[in-house]
Amino acid sequence: MSTPPIIGARIPQLGAREKVTGQAVYTDDMKLPGMLYGAILRSPHAHARIKRIDTSKARALPGVKDVVTGDDTLKVAYGNWRLVPDIQDEYVLAVDKVRYVGDEVAAVCALDADTARRACELIEVEYEVLPAVFSVEEALAEGAPTIRAEKPGNLSLTREIEYGGVDEAFTRAEYVREDTFRVPTVSHAYLEPCSALAAPDEGGRVTLWTSTQTPYIVQVLLAKTLGLPENHVRVIKPQVGGGFGGKMELRTWEFCAAFMALRTGRPVKFTLTRADELAYGRRRHAMVLRSKIGLTRDGVILAKDLDVLLDSGGYNAMGATATFLVGNFGAMLYRIPAYRYLGRYVYTNNPPASAMRGFGAPQALFAGECQLNMVAEELGIDPIELRIRNAMQAGDSVPGVATARTCGFREALEKVRDASGWVEKRARKRPGKGIGVAGCSFISGGVFNWFDTKYHFTSCEVRVFEDGTAHLLTMASDIGQGSDTVLRQILAAELGIDIHKIRLTAGDTAVTPKADLGTWGSRVTLMAGNAVLDAARKIKEMLAGVLFMEYDLNQIHDVAFAGDRVFVRAKPKRGMDFGECVYKALRGRRGEPLTAFGYYTPRDKGLVTPAFSFGAQVIEVEVDEDTGVVSVEQVHTAHDSGVPINTMAVEGQLEGSIHMGLGYALSEELITVEGRVRNATFLDYRIPAAEDMPPSASYEIVTRDPEGPYGAKEAGEGLVSPTAPAIAEAIWDAVGVRSDTLPITPQRVLEGLGKL
Amino acid sequence: MTAPLSFDVHRPRALTEALDLLDEYGATARVIAGGTDLLPKLRNGRLSPEHLVSLGRVGELDGIEETGDGALVIGAATRLFDVQRHPLVRKRLPALHHACSVMATVQIRNMGTVAGNLANGSPCADTSAPLLVYGATLEVARRDGHREIPVGAFHKGPGSVDLASGELIVAIRVPPVPAGSGSAYQRISARSRVDMAAAGVAGLVTLDGDGRVAEARIGLSAVSPTPTRCPEAESLLTGQVPDAPLLERAAREAAEEAKPIDDVRATAAYRRHVVFVMANRVLTTCVARASAGAGGGTP
Ligand SMILES: Cc1cc2nc3c(=O)[nH]c(=O)nc-3n(C[C@H](O)[C@H](O)[C@H](O)COP(=O)(O)OP(=O)(O)OC[C@H]3O[C@@H](n4cnc5c(N)ncnc54)[C@H](O)[C@@H]3O)c2cc1C
Repeated sequence: MSTPPIIGARIPQLGAREKVTGQAVYTDDMKLPGMLYGAILRSPHAHARIKRIDTSKARALPGVKDVVTGDDTLKVAYGNWRLVPDIQDEYVLAVDKVRYVGDEVAAVCALDADTARRACELIEVEYEVLPAVFSVEEALAEGAPTIRAEKPGNLSLTREIEYGGVDEAFTRAEYVREDTFRVPTVSHAYLEPCSALAAPDEGGRVTLWTSTQTPYIVQVLLAKTLGLPENHVRVIKPQVGGGFGGKMELRTWEFCAAFMALRTGRPVKFTLTRADELAYGRRRHAMVLRSKIGLTRDGVILAKDLDVLLDSGGYNAMGATATFLVGNFGAMLYRIPAYRYLGRYVYTNNPPASAMRGFGAPQALFAGECQLNMVAEELGIDPIELRIRNAMQAGDSVPGVATARTCGFREALEKVRDASGWVEKRARKRPGKGIGVAGCSFISGGVFNWFDTKYHFTSCEVRVFEDGTAHLLTMASDIGQGSDTVLRQILAAELGIDIHKIRLTAGDTAVTPKADLGTWGSRVTLMAGNAVLDAARKIKEMLAGVLFMEYDLNQIHDVAFAGDRVFVRAKPKRGMDFGECVYKALRGRRGEPLTAFGYYTPRDKGLVTPAFSFGAQVIEVEVDEDTGVVSVEQVHTAHDSGVPINTMAVEGQLEGSIHMGLGYALSEELITVEGRVRNATFLDYRIPAAEDMPPSASYEIVTRDPEGPYGAKEAGEGLVSPTAPAIAEAIWDAVGVRSDTLPITPQRVLEGLGKL
Repeated sequence: MTAPLSFDVHRPRALTEALDLLDEYGATARVIAGGTDLLPKLRNGRLSPEHLVSLGRVGELDGIEETGDGALVIGAATRLFDVQRHPLVRKRLPALHHACSVMATVQIRNMGTVAGNLANGSPCADTSAPLLVYGATLEVARRDGHREIPVGAFHKGPGSVDLASGELIVAIRVPPVPAGSGSAYQRISARSRVDMAAAGVAGLVTLDGDGRVAEARIGLSAVSPTPTRCPEAESLLTGQVPDAPLLERAAREAAEEAKPIDDVRATAAYRRHVVFVMANRVLTTCVARASAGAGGGTP
């Protein structure tokens, strides 16, 4: 059966017009009658015991309607890792202690935002300041202060992987090197700062509109922290202006909005500022990665030993997953017969890190890919050739973890090598110019059920109507990446109807079928897409019968759905409009609507993911040897995302990834001194601007993954990883400076050149 | 923390009307030109005026004029973009032209003004170093008077300038550039093409008939509490033949004269180093332009 043309088409996001004309409604756009405005009081100390909180002056301020502290709450520890309750270490408002500058201590709601903020300033908190630690090394040192009583020594979690006899393999290696890499903490810098609006609902129920990637997770954890049945809490995801992993947990303002709405009987809204986001928001993990690799003289990898320290900040957040995934990505891309990984997740008094696009891969691959480039230099092997010699191939397994059933890594490497003129450019040195390479791989959704959901990982409902239209209901969350479009493409392809005939309702926990774990881990296209396929096929079963009746078909016939028609595949003239077919089915069902549920849960797919994406990137730079300024001149990317469902959306992900990778490589870092962020504005926290974007050429390496819908794999996160190591290599190629630390600022380049 | 945004906006159509308003409201009023510096400060609560006096409709402040003596007078409401594209600015004041082409972004340059850039008081202001080397003066008016301030005396410290309440910059006056001169400006924003400068260097070199330096001026921004000249480096050059080793020595001297600090944008050591690099490049361009007999062209 051939693939319907809408699969792989270039379709601008449905709803893009509403977004660019300002009609699309984001949480902060909403105002409800009688709405109150919330504000949060945060800890000024990195580590302190709360001795006393006096809210009387705040309460007395005219216009203030409610003030809450940890004492007003149920004091239940919560977190996304419901599977391992010990990991759940956060409170919606601080209980007894604060663990980072910005830890939420109290909240106020008032008639207007200014009054709410002034009231916060009137809350008196008496702290006993405790000694604090701001780096993983300090936190693990003998005698370091304990941040969480349950974890003396501050080692929150460890994760080990080992296979293949590492020590023995290293003894056989003819070439061994060991390097240490340091990567900083950076911000998601999503366009829309977090915002949440709650309204009381009849019977003590509550509705929350929130800028989230995970309405279901928020619903469940909100119910738990409010002490309500899950079904009393309705979470709705309006339009969301990006998340990149930063909006996938229950957060304090979501709780406080709902809690105070229930207490006051009025809607309550909280909206964070950019400064709040940069100073206190979730962020990507800073890590120290020590990597040791052993090879034969002709460049065959024999063993790798990776030791990683992750800076948790004051709470675990999604750290357990990060700790696992860094180890996973450390073993990806190449055939590594012997591998050892030790990941240690360490509490500090920095603002907590959590999931961020690539989740462990940007760090692991910065270390791994930079190191491989150093190996190539020392062994005198071209870095792309070295990669090809070791590249994973379809069918390869990472022992005990996962199998890559499709893998276009080698093809991607060959493609960027040929398209970029690599061989010639590496051979013919031009002053100040350089070219570098790196690879990447990522998961297409996670398999591990850390949230411990009792439901399917994703679900949807499809309804079809006699006017030829359909309605797709899904809890999957489009946060700007375009999944609302992609899921409708999949449904349009299956039902053979025009995509504009599909209404979509998404991300409403009271209306869309339970459940969907949310948008993270690049899971939506593969998982929610498979659920759509499941539901659509059930609908098609209901409709096929109509044709068999109408034309008295022989059992061997197949029914096709295309061009808004339902027809006998072998005799296309025998058929009818899609709507007419629904009408006839409806008659036959004596009025029972045509509706079907679809589900997907990855089963027997190892520990990580049902499918891996792969890619390779070559980057050309020019380095000013006197100022250290690096200009990225051209990017070439080849990417195996399986069968792209929407090539324009895949390109959008690629461009966004280059943008993020560029910042990670050259300019972004939350400069944090004693737990305080010093550059909490976009003036001082430097994400690249449009003018910094280099020209970029991209090539799809199409593989047809057996697990993905129509063969699709992920495109949202993998590509964020290769940019930094490829730029690092290009800088070395240009001026001979290697940087084991990000970002590679002009200062670091000049230091490397011995000019500073 | 975001402060309440509550103020009255006045949109006078004549300079006298603007001056009357500023006089009436005194310290509770602020001038707003493009608003690109002012609005962020209002939003983050660093300024909370009760009255904004907008220059947007004061037509007489918009535009660039050449006076009889060959000076260019840039009206206070002239947009950076209009300064950049003006043919006489491009021809005679390439350092200013370049500053107005590379600072900020297209959108900001379409709103912002040179007067606002200076009055904001930032030591990083990109137009400050070029205007320093061109010897520009600010024409300042109040309801009952008028005075002139050399650009070099205008900045008092980070964020502080020589303007009293009730006063308004009417124009920036740039005197004619001496014959036989070449000028240039370079700035570096080490982290992104759209960024406040980590350092800026402007130069103007005038050669005499023998190819010796009759006069040299070097202006620095972003590397000391106020935009500043480099008297030691300038005197090194005066009377000398400007060969490459001399220019390099002068550039080193200029770097010594800078008083940079460490901040989140760059370290002091980095700033000092790039002052040297850029001063060397700027002086080389100045000399080339002066020898070519043209002040013009982009750097
Ligand atoms: C994204 C962004 C990037 C930027 N990049 C740069 C950059 O690269 N380089 C750079 O130098 N600047 C930069 N700026 C700062 C700013 O754009 C410039 O300083 C601009 O020239 C300010 O002019 P304006 O007309 O907008 O000033 P306004 O904001 O209107 O005013 C600034 C100050 O000057 C006062 N003022 C204005 N006009 C007068 C007058 N005629 N008389 C008396 N007082 C007056 C105001 O009261 C206010 O205090 C940037 C700003 C932004 C937002």
